[in-house]
Amino acid sequence: MNTIGVLIIILFVLMLLVGHMQGLKVFIGLLLNFAAIFVLIVLINWQFNVYIITGIMSLIILAVAIYLGAENSEVTNNAFKTSVIVVAILMIIAVIMQYFGQFQGFTTENSEELEGLSLTVGIHFGDVAIAVMLLSVLGAVAEAAMAIVADLNEVLERTPEMTSSSLYGHAKIIGGQILGTAINTLFFGVLGSNLPLIIWFVRLKYPIAMFINAKLLATEVVTMLLGMLGILLSIWVASWLVVRDNVRQQKVGIRHERDI
Amino acid sequence: MRHTIKYGLLLVVVLFVWLFLRHDAFLYQNPVGQVTQVQASVTQKTTDEHGNADVMITQRLTVKLLNREKRIIVIHNDYAKSQVMTQKYRVGDQLLLEKVAANTHILSLKRDAWVGALMTFFLALLLMYSKWRATSWLLLSMLINIALFGVALLVDIHNKDTNVLLIFSILSILFAAVSLILVLGRTLQMALTLAATLITTFLTIILLIIVLDVTHNVGVHFETMSYVTQVPATLFMAQTVIGVLGAVMDEASDIVAMQFGMRRENSIREFGDYWHAGVSVGREIMGTLMNVLFMIFIAETLPMVFLMLRNGNNWAYIMDQVMNLGILQTVISAIGIVLAVPVTSVIVGLALTRKAGRQ
Repeated sequence: MNTIGVLIIILFVLMLLVGHMQGLKVFIGLLLNFAAIFVLIVLINWQFNVYIITGIMSLIILAVAIYLGAENSEVTNNAFKTSVIVVAILMIIAVIMQYFGQFQGFTTENSEELEGLSLTVGIHFGDVAIAVMLLSVLGAVAEAAMAIVADLNEVLERTPEMTSSSLYGHAKIIGGQILGTAINTLFFGVLGSNLPLIIWFVRLKYPIAMFINAKLLATEVVTMLLGMLGILLSIWVASWLVVRDNVRQQKVGIRHERDI
Repeated sequence: MRHTIKYGLLLVVVLFVWLFLRHDAFLYQNPVGQVTQVQASVTQKTTDEHGNADVMITQRLTVKLLNREKRIIVIHNDYAKSQVMTQKYRVGDQLLLEKVAANTHILSLKRDAWVGALMTFFLALLLMYSKWRATSWLLLSMLINIALFGVALLVDIHNKDTNVLLIFSILSILFAAVSLILVLGRTLQMALTLAATLITTFLTIILLIIVLDVTHNVGVHFETMSYVTQVPATLFMAQTVIGVLGAVMDEASDIVAMQFGMRRENSIREFGDYWHAGVSVGREIMGTLMNVLFMIFIAETLPMVFLMLRNGNNWAYIMDQVMNLGILQTVISAIGIVLAVPVTSVIVGLALTRKAGRQ
């Protein structure tokens, strides 16, 4: 039997056992996000505008990751808003970096895989590079946003009367912790996925000049930095959104008391 | 006012780093040049056997050498408009060059200024967000981890028949220990998080090995792996160990932190309390964590997917050949992330109830 099929079945069973309904939702979410990426590929392949397609699909992927990940609607709404703002900022940075850094396409290191393939294919690979950078960081942004919003909400539930400045204080402490673990997750994820490439560079004794400037490694470094920047910005934006919501709710509360 | 100064300072620092890296040609042994003039001379329209229309362009680049005596040279560069493998250069681009016999050719675009500026921007923002003390631990743990990684690479490269999986498994144990000790200090909480992380990662890899063995690798194409210098299957497992470690550590620290919070409120609790609380926290965070790794692993395969699609391959073939290992890695990482929930809950539950019982 197909190995990946068996592993997917094991994953499905484990998710049902551990997560019950929540597990089922997460599993469906992963399938939906896979479908979204599939649609993105097809549309870009049909030469639709890459920026628009990537923007729309990013929204869908974030929505699936966040709304199918957790229950509490106050948490999910703020987390979604945060991720959208952050991804928009990252998109601008990615476009600037791609314009000057030219991270698109393949290099001579890939010659073996590219044998027999036509390389004049008519799609602009610079646009593809932007889509790849942006997609890679979506997960990390959604995760950081969810974590900080959920934790701040819990703080607010325990002490609803909190002033905005002490809530900011809490946001800083919690944010620092989340920053540490989220950055580690991303760092190890990217390191793991590039292990063969890094070993290749070291084994074949690439000069340091190439290590720093060559397309393959520089692309990965930039992707990782964008993700880390995304995590940091998520924490920043989410804290601001939660505090703003809280101030607004307290004002509404005071008005209600006056009415009575 | 203070904010304006801070952000102003941030921009100045980034700009300074960028300027320095734009003028660091003297550090390079290879010739480095800057494009001062571009003439696109020959344009030829092509259509390949799959009906893809593209344009071939030849550029005549006037390059000013920045670290050599002979100042101006001319280089010809051919590129296709799609830039799959070839590249278009513009005025202002700095190039890393190589001189072979009488000809000078382009090795690579010089990207250090842009990558360095982005890195500085991130580090400066990080320092602005949290105070130096908190950030320095995080940066220190990353620096130590990178150094450890370097050592592991050297060990791997200097021995001919090394066991990649073994080296990188030991490396990931060290990774986890360093990161957790620096964040949590040498506490019981740290020890339990570390134990949960390592046991989960170990179980995940054992499961992967068993399933691969039972199903005889059917449908898994380790031979499609890029940049292979060693046995692909073990290299893949080493990759998985490192990739899954971060996510599992993230999850385990959240669950353990919450369970220790419960203990601080009331230290006499049953195993069941810890178990239920642990599983319910884990359930909340596992979805988003899976998405983190999923997006990294799948996005990476995209350029090849597009190239294969444009070359007239069908989806079944692309899923099987190009996305195969990305999908496998996503699935096995997801299994690790799910497993972390019960493993962590059990370990902490047992440790805390037993400790309370002794007292």
